[in-house]
Amino acid sequence: MRCERCGVELTNKIIKINDVAYCENCARLMGYGKFLRSPEEMLGSAFSPFDEIASTIMQMSDLDFGNSALSCPKCGMTLRDFEKKGRLGCIECYNTFNDYIVKEMFKQQGESTYGGRMPGSIAELPGIEKIGGPVIKNEEPAKNEEIKEESPASEKAEEAPAPAAEEDAAGKLEKLAKADLGMLSDEDLESGIKLAAANEDYILASKLRDELKGRKEGN
Amino acid sequence: MKMWYEKEGLDEDVVLSTKACIVRNVKGYNFPSKMDDKDASSLLKKVDSVIDRNVFSGGMATDIINSGDAVTLMKAQISGRDGSLLFAPDRKAIYYTEDYGLSIAVGNSEHITVKAQAPGHDIGIYRQAEKAAVELEKKLDIAYSEKYGFLTSSVKLTGTGLKILYTVAIPAIAKTEGGIAALRQRVGQYEWTIYPFAEQGELNESGVYIIASVSTLGVSEEEILARGEMLIEDVIKAERACREQLATKKKTQMQDLYGRAYGLMRFASLMSRREALDSICWLRLYRDYDDSCEFDCKWKMLNMITQEVCWEQQRRGEINTQTAQKQRAERIKKILKGDD
Repeated sequence: MRCERCGVELTNKIIKINDVAYCENCARLMGYGKFLRSPEEMLGSAFSPFDEIASTIMQMSDLDFGNSALSCPKCGMTLRDFEKKGRLGCIECYNTFNDYIVKEMFKQQGESTYGGRMPGSIAELPGIEKIGGPVIKNEEPAKNEEIKEESPASEKAEEAPAPAAEEDAAGKLEKLAKADLGMLSDEDLESGIKLAAANEDYILASKLRDELKGRKEGN
Repeated sequence: MKMWYEKEGLDEDVVLSTKACIVRNVKGYNFPSKMDDKDASSLLKKVDSVIDRNVFSGGMATDIINSGDAVTLMKAQISGRDGSLLFAPDRKAIYYTEDYGLSIAVGNSEHITVKAQAPGHDIGIYRQAEKAAVELEKKLDIAYSEKYGFLTSSVKLTGTGLKILYTVAIPAIAKTEGGIAALRQRVGQYEWTIYPFAEQGELNESGVYIIASVSTLGVSEEEILARGEMLIEDVIKAERACREQLATKKKTQMQDLYGRAYGLMRFASLMSRREALDSICWLRLYRDYDDSCEFDCKWKMLNMITQEVCWEQQRRGEINTQTAQKQRAERIKKILKGDD
């Protein structure tokens, strides 16, 4: 079939006006262009937000694809492999994927800084020590240890718990229970947790811990 | 020589074992997943040359398999429940002490894994793992950065490379409504984690859970251990309190279930894993409250049965179910009779 106006062969689009066939170009020239909008043109205005989203998605996947292609020069590990398996290939990967590793560290542990011992050295464990078979622990808070050192009656105090110390602990716990937790320092909270746990006041210990945790997370 | 888990431990009514695992990698080699066979062989030789043979036995995993020690390693909880440490044996080596309490595995997911295990509640086991790790750190060029600490293949271990694990039997908390959820919350407050010994299958209702440290960055070894100690003491107290409540509020039912469970374990000829672990749960729940004194049922016996059943070798296809159940029942009877 050919266009009745210009004679061009009609292949893809046939536009019929009053049962006469025309090509798209002739139909536009004849003033019927406004009826010939393509689906893209029709959707263009009404669905423009979708276009934006679609282009953003395209950009994101392009970006993702580009980064995932990043690879370690030493072992050949790609970022995509790391993201998929969660494992690195060699020490050099720590340099290659540093930013991503730090993000992963934060995601997994909320931290990226090292706080442990040096190679070849032993960890200092003043609070927890083992002598022979059973575990022997120094559970007393640091403040109490200082008091013991100052007190000449410290040896006796170890043999039998001093009533005064018990009362002191009870008083402290009562104060802590009534205190506005927001007004306490981190150190007070930490020593409070230990004291409460030692006295089996787990509800108070957990309240104090939650407060401390909340602060850390807030920071 | 007794295996490490056959020895006495503290708080063993609740804590089956305490484990400390330290992972390290050697500079100059890719991490195991990217290591070729030549490098894997070179690493094995390098580590082998610095192992103190006065302390450790073992060696190449292939030799261990050929000598028939693989089953022992599994029972000793060195090679994993699925024996994964013995997969691809030509790229691995395992060294262990006489009681299998301290081991060094080479070529697993990290180059070196030092593992120390003790029965019951014993955080002092950390020192044993540390001592072995320090020896290796002095003799080998270990991957370490001042910023991130010990570098590992898994970012979850970068830093101290240390994990502390307590295996606990807490049937009373598990049987208390909302008990595990509350415990999970508590464990989370210490930034640790708790998970059942088995998520599914015969062992998923064993009442056995693993409480493990999570953080390896931003914390020192001391903090990890201190948190673990505070946490495990909470768990022990909570489990004992729940047992007390069950034993006093439902004394008759508990006594009945205790007696039935003992009878089953002591005299059954066939025993499935689920049945065995279910019976142990009831024995564990009421053992300290039984005033009849009719049953000789020591904590050590219960723990040995629990560990034997939980870490039992899965010999799929080798023996049929009935034979496996028969062997299990005989083994349990032997332990309860005190013959073991």
